[in-house]
Amino acid sequence: MGPFVGAVLSASLILLFVLPLVVLFLYVGWSGFVQEATNDGFLTSIRFTLLASGIAVGLGLLTGVPLGYLLARYRFRGRSFVESAVLLPVVIPHLVVGIALLLLFAPDGPVGRFMAGLGLPVFDAIWGVVLVMLYVGASYVVLASQLAFRAVDPEVVDTARSLGASPGEAFATVTLPQSARGIATGALLMWARGVSEIGGFLILAYAIAPSPPWFGPPTAPASVYIYDLYQSSGGLEAAAAASCVLVLVALAIFLAVRLVDRAGLYTPRGGWLS
Amino acid sequence: MTGVTVRNLELERGEFRLGPIDLAMEGGTATILLGPSGAGKTTLLRAIAGFLGVREGSIEVDGVPVDREPPERRGFGFVPPSLGLFPHRRVARNVSYPLEIAGASDASAQARRWMERFDLVPLAHRYPHELSSGQQQRVAMARALAAHPRFLLWDEPLSALDVESRDVLLRLVRELIEREGLPLLLVTHDPTTAFSLGSRLVVLDEGRIRFQGRPEELARGPLNRFTARFLGYENLYAPHELAAASDLPLGAALARAAGPGGLVIPAEALRWSAERWGGDASARVRSVRWSSAAWSIDLELGSLRLHVVGAHDAPSVRPGAVVGVGIDLSKVKPLESSSGPAG
Repeated sequence: MGPFVGAVLSASLILLFVLPLVVLFLYVGWSGFVQEATNDGFLTSIRFTLLASGIAVGLGLLTGVPLGYLLARYRFRGRSFVESAVLLPVVIPHLVVGIALLLLFAPDGPVGRFMAGLGLPVFDAIWGVVLVMLYVGASYVVLASQLAFRAVDPEVVDTARSLGASPGEAFATVTLPQSARGIATGALLMWARGVSEIGGFLILAYAIAPSPPWFGPPTAPASVYIYDLYQSSGGLEAAAAASCVLVLVALAIFLAVRLVDRAGLYTPRGGWLS
Repeated sequence: MTGVTVRNLELERGEFRLGPIDLAMEGGTATILLGPSGAGKTTLLRAIAGFLGVREGSIEVDGVPVDREPPERRGFGFVPPSLGLFPHRRVARNVSYPLEIAGASDASAQARRWMERFDLVPLAHRYPHELSSGQQQRVAMARALAAHPRFLLWDEPLSALDVESRDVLLRLVRELIEREGLPLLLVTHDPTTAFSLGSRLVVLDEGRIRFQGRPEELARGPLNRFTARFLGYENLYAPHELAAASDLPLGAALARAAGPGGLVIPAEALRWSAERWGGDASARVRSVRWSSAAWSIDLELGSLRLHVVGAHDAPSVRPGAVVGVGIDLSKVKPLESSSGPAG
């Protein structure tokens, strides 16, 4: 394959990525965009989605980073099973995820009742959205942190120990700063995957009854909200406008992360400056 | 002055078994750990540093056992072959790291003093990957010393240096360990480092100590293949090479003079003449090389290769010529088996 053919094939893929979004924005136009961007119902849905995805990413980091560290640094019995389990959510269709989670967390089932008893109802509640986002996205945090931790030279960590650092101090001052960029990338991918999810929400958390009440008025995840708009009569224009708003929110978060990166919080070698 | 003693240390890593190891290192002196690849040098250093559990034995500092202490409480300044510099910290913060961890209120000022000693102040704001190998070595050493260690464990820290930088650092290290009264255990493959720094040499092979003593004792004592190579001998022959050459004019005599590990023919035992019949046997010239101050000739004596060097009067022979060779059998040195008895 010559360089010209390679360039044409690459350009066609990039065009496929970008062109639909350009058409989307051209179709909606400025007035359509403003109308949806100031729609209280949709803004509530966006706020709700950001809140749920924030909680999900937090839980993903809390559970996925230790698992990534375990897989990067230790050999243990059942390791290949754990690695396969981490990849499971990536290959399972997400409607299936929704159905499986619904069966496990059914409101009248033991697990669902237990969760509700804890004040964490799952069905048609924010915790259902968080659960789906965690299921479909936490693998990215595990895989990214596993790669990031594996890239940290164990001799550097040992040297920190010999210089007086306890295992915890060596992790916090040497391992984590060097892995932070990889972990942050995993978190960003998890967040993006969670926000773009719809299949699991349609089954487990279609219409959100706020619980506790300070979560706000009844709403739906943004992707479900857009889907509902599209299903309503003549709803393509409104769905397209809402999609533009969601795309811009996603781009804003993506750019914010890149700006933090460029602002010098990372070193040239990719770790957080400590 | 701090004294570190390793007593009867043994450990197993899979199939590899290290020990029993007994070492005594005095403050202000350097002990050089030598040995072929896979001998267990790095394993021994990592065990003493506390990164590998030992099955048997003890490590004592001034008579107090430390082998139950984790690495961070031993106070041993360990520098691995990769130097272990923190890639995400600038030079100044690499050097100040142990002081920050110890909670020193004047960490920056202390670190600056160490950077001054190692001529690192102009590089304080650089990241490790922006430094040359020699500069990285200096950072690693300054940082190890900034931790106020009781004992230094360095695994080939000078391996990537040019001769001039190495000599400067060797002088500095010698001064520092003498002034601070620190014992240093250093792994190296470099004879110059070993002889200029080492008060004591320890040769490790297959997990056991084969020799322990002063550098001149190594040169005088029985040799094996590793120590002979380390001391710079070039004409080394394994028993099977000598057996294959036993029908040559000198072959049978050489085979008789060999030890279980073979034989070395030192330069002083070898003489040659441009005349075919000027020695005990004839050899063919394979190659002749000149450098600015010396020459060397590779000769072929049947299946044996001989390397002859000289410093004056460049020889007037060409490759392919047949020359005379003589070997003074009283000066050849038999080699012990590499896995022979501990020295």
